[in-house]
Amino acid sequence: MMRYLRWIVLLVAIVLMAYPLGWMIAVSLRTSDGLNLRYYADVWNSGPFDRYFINSLAVAAVVVLGNIVFCTMAGYAFARYRIRGGKLLFFLVLSTIMLPKQVILVPLYIEMQRLGLIDSYWALTLPFLVDPFNIFLIRQYLLGIPTDCEEAARIDGAGELFILFRVVFPMLTPVLAVVAIHTTLTNWNSFLFPFILTNSTSMRTLPVGLALLAQGAYSIDWGHLMAGAVLSALPVVVAFLIFQRRIIGGLTTGMTR
Amino acid sequence: MSRRRRVSPVVWLLLPWALVYGAFFVFPFLFSFVLGFLHYNPLNVANTTFVGAGNVTRLFGDADFHSALRNTLFFVIGTVPVTTTLALGLAWLLHAPLPMKDAFKAAMFLPSILSVVVIALLFKLFYAPGGALNETLRALGLQTHGWLTDPATALPAIMAMDIWAAVGYYALVLYAAFTSIPESLYEAATLEGAGHWATFRHVTLPMLKPALGFVLVINTIRSFQVFVEVLVMTQGGPLGSTNTLVMMLYDTAFRRLDYGYSSVIAYAVFILSGVFSVFALRRMRSQTPVQQRGMPA
Repeated sequence: MMRYLRWIVLLVAIVLMAYPLGWMIAVSLRTSDGLNLRYYADVWNSGPFDRYFINSLAVAAVVVLGNIVFCTMAGYAFARYRIRGGKLLFFLVLSTIMLPKQVILVPLYIEMQRLGLIDSYWALTLPFLVDPFNIFLIRQYLLGIPTDCEEAARIDGAGELFILFRVVFPMLTPVLAVVAIHTTLTNWNSFLFPFILTNSTSMRTLPVGLALLAQGAYSIDWGHLMAGAVLSALPVVVAFLIFQRRIIGGLTTGMTR
Repeated sequence: MSRRRRVSPVVWLLLPWALVYGAFFVFPFLFSFVLGFLHYNPLNVANTTFVGAGNVTRLFGDADFHSALRNTLFFVIGTVPVTTTLALGLAWLLHAPLPMKDAFKAAMFLPSILSVVVIALLFKLFYAPGGALNETLRALGLQTHGWLTDPATALPAIMAMDIWAAVGYYALVLYAAFTSIPESLYEAATLEGAGHWATFRHVTLPMLKPALGFVLVINTIRSFQVFVEVLVMTQGGPLGSTNTLVMMLYDTAFRRLDYGYSSVIAYAVFILSGVFSVFALRRMRSQTPVQQRGMPA
C-alpha cells in the first residue's frame, strides 16, 4: 500500500515538473495550420542557426578531446609521481574547481582582446581545454587501481609514453566516459564565456545564439524561439536517453563519497 | 659514455595543464586584482588612473551594490533550503522497489542536461501573459499576473524556476547516498523496535550527512553566482528587483565599461562564495581512494 502511495506522489511531482517542458514542446509545434514542424524548418533554415549548431559541435569536440588527453596526463602525474610541491599544486587544481569563474570574466576578455583572439575558435576552446574537475576525477580513479600493470610494463622496458597511453589509458575507460559526458554537457550548455568572448554572428554557439534571438527588437515570437530551444537541446537529450544509466550514475554517484 | 640528463616525465605530463591554467586562470585572476585599484575604461585606456582603495570605498557606499547583495542573499536563502528539502523528499520516495523507476530518474535528471538559456527561455514563456501559468490560472477562474514585470514577484519567480531546475539533480545525488546505506542498519533499527520516524532520524539522516553537506555547499556556491537566468529573463529589472551580484558585475563591465569597479564586485562574489568553497575543498581533499570506488563502472 505504502509503495503505491509513494509511486503516486512521485508521479504527481514528475508530471508537475514536466509541465513547463510539455508546454514548450506544444508551443513549438502549434502553428497557424495545426500541429507540424514548420517552426523547426524555419529556424533551421533561418541562416545563423545551422552555423551555431556547427560551432557548438566543433568546439565541444575539440574541448572534449583536449580534456581526455591533457587531464589524463595531469591526473596520472598527480596519482603516480612524487612531485616536489605536489600537494600545493594539487590544491591549486582543486581550488579552481570551486572558485566562481566570473572573477576572471573581465580580465580574460581584456587578455583575449590583446592577444587578438576575441571572436575566434581559439577563444572558445583554449581556456577550456583542461578542466581541473576532470583532473580530480582521473587522479581519484587512478589511486583506486593498483600499479601492477604499469610496473610490469616498466620492467619490460616500456617508455613512459607507452605506459600512459597503452597501459593506463585503457584501464581508465569508465572514468573517461564520465569525463566525456561531463565535459560535453558543460561545454554544449555553456553561455557566459562564449557570450563574452565572441561578437559576430558566425562565431556564436547555440546557447548564445538562442539568448540573442530572445533579445531581438521584435516582440518575442514564441513558436520559433521554442523550436530553436528544442533543437538546441535535442542532441544532448537524445544522447542522454541512450546512455541514461551511465550519465545519471556518473554525475551523481561519484560526487558525494 | 655520456648520458644526457633526462627531463622528468612529470614536467611534460603537467605542461598542458600548467600552460592553460597559468595563461587563462592565474594571469587573469591576478590581473583582476590589479584592475580593482584602477579606473580603467576600455575606450580610453590612456586615461587609466590609479584610484587605490577608491573602488572598494565606492562599493561599500553604493546603494546598487547593497540591493544586489540583498537580492542575491534572498535568492540563496530562499532557494537552497527549499531545494534541499524537496530533493531529500524525492530521494526518499524513490528509495524503494518501484515500477518505472528508471523513467522517473530520467525525468528528474532531464532539467540538469539542459542549458540555463533553454531553461530561462522556457520559463519566460511559462510566466508570460499567454503562458502556461497564466492560462492555467485563467482556466481555474483565478487572476492572471505579470510575474516577471511586477517587482514584487519577479525575483521569486526566478527562484521558483531555479528550484525546478536544480531539485531533480540533487534528489538523485541524495538517492545515490540512500542506496549506499547498508541494509543491516535498518534491520538493526527494526530489531530495536524503532518506528519510521525514529529510523529516519537516527539511521538515515546521520548516514546522509556527508551527501547533504555536499549538496548544500555546491548549491550555495552555485546560487551566489546566479546570472544567466536573470540576463535572459529580466536583465535585472523591473526596477532593479532582480539585480544580483553577477548581473551587476556584468552590467558594470560590459554596459558601463567600468572595468576597475567591476573587478571589485567580482572579488566580492569571490569572497562570499569562497567561504563556502573552503568547506567543499576540505571534503574533497579528505576523500580517500577506497571511498571513491563508488565510481560508476
